[in-house]
Amino acid sequence: MTRFCFLTIACLASISSAQVTFEDLKKSPGANWLTVAGDYQGKRHSPLTQINTSNAANMVAKWVYRMPKAGGLRTNPIVHDGVMYVTNTNEIRALDAASGRLIWAYKDTRAKKEAVNRGAAIYGDRVYFVTSDVYLVALDRRTGAVQWQHKYGKIEEGIFASAAPLVVRDKVMVGVAGGDTGMRGYISALSASTGEELWRTYTIPAKGEKGSESWGKYVDYGGGGTWLSGTYDPDTNTLYWTTGNPWPDFYGGDRGGDNLFSCSLLALDADTGKMKWYFQFTPHDVHDWDAQAWPVLVDLPLDGKMRKLVLHANRNGFFYALDRITGEFIRATKLVDKLDWASGIDAKGRPVELPDKGPTPSGNLVCPGVRGATNWMSPSYNPATGLFYVVTLEQCDIFTSSSKTPIPDKNFSGGGAGTKPKDLGQFFLRAFDPKTGKKVWEYPMTGPAESWSGTVSTAGGIVFVGDDDGQLVGVDARSGKHLWHFNIGEGLLASPITYAVNGKQYVSIASSTAIYSFGLHEPVQAVRLPKIELK
Amino acid sequence: MRRLLIAATLLVPLFGQHEKDGEESKNPAIGDPKAIEAGAKIFAGGCGACHGPDGQGGRGPNLRQRVFWHPLDPKTMYKAIQEGVGGAMPAANLPEDQAWQVVAFVVSLTSPAIENPVSGDVENGRTLFIGKGGCANCHAINNQGGKLGPDLSNIASVQATLAIRESIVDPDADGAVGYHAVTVTLKNGKTISGVARNRSNYSLQLQDRTGNLHLIDMADVTQMTLSKGSPMPKDYAKRFSPKELDDLVAYLSRQSVRPYEKEKDKEKKN
Repeated sequence: MTRFCFLTIACLASISSAQVTFEDLKKSPGANWLTVAGDYQGKRHSPLTQINTSNAANMVAKWVYRMPKAGGLRTNPIVHDGVMYVTNTNEIRALDAASGRLIWAYKDTRAKKEAVNRGAAIYGDRVYFVTSDVYLVALDRRTGAVQWQHKYGKIEEGIFASAAPLVVRDKVMVGVAGGDTGMRGYISALSASTGEELWRTYTIPAKGEKGSESWGKYVDYGGGGTWLSGTYDPDTNTLYWTTGNPWPDFYGGDRGGDNLFSCSLLALDADTGKMKWYFQFTPHDVHDWDAQAWPVLVDLPLDGKMRKLVLHANRNGFFYALDRITGEFIRATKLVDKLDWASGIDAKGRPVELPDKGPTPSGNLVCPGVRGATNWMSPSYNPATGLFYVVTLEQCDIFTSSSKTPIPDKNFSGGGAGTKPKDLGQFFLRAFDPKTGKKVWEYPMTGPAESWSGTVSTAGGIVFVGDDDGQLVGVDARSGKHLWHFNIGEGLLASPITYAVNGKQYVSIASSTAIYSFGLHEPVQAVRLPKIELK
Repeated sequence: MRRLLIAATLLVPLFGQHEKDGEESKNPAIGDPKAIEAGAKIFAGGCGACHGPDGQGGRGPNLRQRVFWHPLDPKTMYKAIQEGVGGAMPAANLPEDQAWQVVAFVVSLTSPAIENPVSGDVENGRTLFIGKGGCANCHAINNQGGKLGPDLSNIASVQATLAIRESIVDPDADGAVGYHAVTVTLKNGKTISGVARNRSNYSLQLQDRTGNLHLIDMADVTQMTLSKGSPMPKDYAKRFSPKELDDLVAYLSRQSVRPYEKEKDKEKKN
């Protein structure tokens, strides 16, 4: 693999000019990391091996880029031809991925909303990102020049945008956030060349449409946000996109029924947006358990037969395996030990709910808590180990319901959830075997139970994870044993990536305020300054 | 403290989906073309004697580059106009609407050009941009034009009208950071020219005329020629008549990814 790095990078010779094609996106990741998950399947697994279990102990910080005015960065960097693209609120920056030096920056200073941003997408000679007030912006990836921007939603309808776009062929797929304030979530496909909206699929049906019978009076504002990017199977041209909670979050009294298609996984035709199938993880959710975590697409033998699977670690505490062609439920096992709202998942994939586990006016202790057993922290999958890596939170919350009348777009969630003071919870990095659903190893973390960072897996046999104490950690992918760590010293709310420039592998992560990049230690060569002639 | 931490923890899950809309309410005179025009006249008749006709400073402070002065929000400015500042600046005691007109004018000196009216002919400015001025050879607007100079598609959202004018007649006024002309010779004998989007003693981020990036380790550079400023011609004040300059500034002052929304200005143009 090291040879692969050297060959690829040497050919590029640090000139960022080649067009990024659909084939490139299908091949990612290698030296490049071209989508927010690295690949279309959501595996977040890199073939790079220069940094491996035998030398990870020699990793050092290579550079740090402090993002101006940043706080709580959620950006997942993407990298192409030695250029890294990172985002912040209404802002995108291009960095020299080998030195961390700024190349260009663009900020829409007049956007009408300020929310977090989770990353960019790349295709052709453009990079794309979304503004909080729901515009897709296309820029020349080399110069940062704005080529166009296209509005694909209205903040007046209670939505905003934060997810990294996903480019599939000539379409840019985008989602919307805002499911806690009463809105209708949707996924849109916009033309990669013009921004024109080509299709839109709502996650909450309109009155009279299939699924609307599963709602009460709030169907018009049912939520179902699409605030993380989806994944894609090029073989079947199918998008897999998860949906958020129904609204009002903690009050289900006036929305009797399953509340389709909230807390679900949708399989969509990428050309038309037509729903091929859906699977709802948490029918009639009242705990704010969005189904947001990444759907990971893998092919595995089960019971002697090769199956095309989609794996999903859900906020409700279960780890699911579905047939990704049919949506058929295969199995669900527990992600966490602290899980008391359901005794299990039945043969059709429906939770077997235990009584009296909904929010109450005086408060009801339920596990997992409102943040769920996992959340937006990225899982990963290593084909060599056959293990699925996911950050989990062992924690319970006290859920309360309110008798106030919900008003759309007034930020009323119908109740709330709070941590029991002596039960702040604990994070664990866990490895599961998707063939059995069983936990293989775990790596406990220390910290204040405030982490939001996920994982990246490498063919070097390492899983890198941001831990709950603000440290980037490398552990052995087979055993979970510690190999290396670096104390970044502030909260981590994004997940690491890995890439290579000029034959050197880097591991990078956004902390709350900065971008960090790490690599193997090598002596710094003294630079003899050239003769500089000023004219 | 622990309780605060817990509270903060609980807020985090929903933070990603709850953000403030907030835009401060402001006096309607600010950004209003007629108010700015009226304010300019009052300013020229009184304030300009000390602050300079364009607010560039004189006996009184520079109102566009407030390096040593306190920050100016509109309410503070209104108070200073009406009540004076210490013994240095006399109280104007203007009628309330006139004082706000002056505030609107001073705000327009530094606020984004797109928020303010223009006096030139936008369409003629466009003709100059792509024609006589040759600006489009180096600058792009909405993906049309050259790639060596700064993209101007959104210039009116980030620069004030006066700053745009200044950039045309004196391209180095703001230091032209990120756009100094550079030519390097590498150890392998190759020579590359363009602008230095960024550079240090250890690395150079060079963008060539076609827009391609060259990310260079300075250990590989044997010789470098660097301009002291921007490669942009310095004689546009002579090439253009004052009217043409107004028109070009007007055109650039309407280049924003967010369009100009003041109906009053549209009425004025019609």
